[in-house]
Amino acid sequence: MSNFRRSQNQSNPNKLNAILSTLIFILILNVTMQIWLLYVALNNALDNNKEILIPAFVASLILFIIGISLLYYLPTGNRNIRK
Amino acid sequence: MSKEDNLNKNWKKDFPIEKQQATNVSRRDFAKFLTLVSGGLMVGSGLVTAKAYLYPKEEVLGEHFVCNKDEVPLGGTRAFVIEGSTIPYILIHLETGEFKAYEQKCTHLSCSVFYKPGTGVIHCPCHEGSFDAKTGNVLAGPPPRALPKLDVFFKDDAVYVRAVQEEKIAKL
Ligand code: FES
Repeated sequence: MSNFRRSQNQSNPNKLNAILSTLIFILILNVTMQIWLLYVALNNALDNNKEILIPAFVASLILFIIGISLLYYLPTGNRNIRK
Repeated sequence: MSKEDNLNKNWKKDFPIEKQQATNVSRRDFAKFLTLVSGGLMVGSGLVTAKAYLYPKEEVLGEHFVCNKDEVPLGGTRAFVIEGSTIPYILIHLETGEFKAYEQKCTHLSCSVFYKPGTGVIHCPCHEGSFDAKTGNVLAGPPPRALPKLDVFFKDDAVYVRAVQEEKIAKL
């Protein structure tokens, strides 16, 4: 069976590659920012500065939600090409 | 069987997956794994916040007697603990005549710090951290934060300590 999406993918096999690479790049960026946020939050918690903790947590949560919603665009690959 | 044949037939039989599919699979898993890590960091951040709000660091309550002024010579120090707590503190008699009290745990990895007489520097031997003996601020080395301090005050000749009062105002 053929459909539009599959023939598109077959004629442009590099497209999925680009999507996936971009996704991974953005995810790594997000995780880097979250590591930094956690580091700052921990240092400030130990220093008894509480004002920054909730904003840091919210920022971390937003980054996580962005990551989760990006997974929706994760390509599933070109299945059944050979059959 | 020649090497050519082997490459062309058997290898593909043993591993009947398209090259593109193979790379897609592992990178997709990697992307999912990254999201998992992201979730972990988010939870970690939440735990730090919850811990800070639910179990705040206990403050030193009231006033505590340490020793008499003449027991600590100029440039000398004295270690003490406050009753009901295990945190070690040091009292420093600076060359300027001032008394200062700090937590003795380095803010880097909790080694115990000591005062270098004559220099105005509190030193941590573990990774060569240095703190300013006047303020507790970090001068050099890996410690990320200033040493926590106590207020020192006197009643006649006796040295007392209490929690820092004006800290909140000074920070703003
Ligand atoms: S523990 Fe003091 S500098 Fe590392």
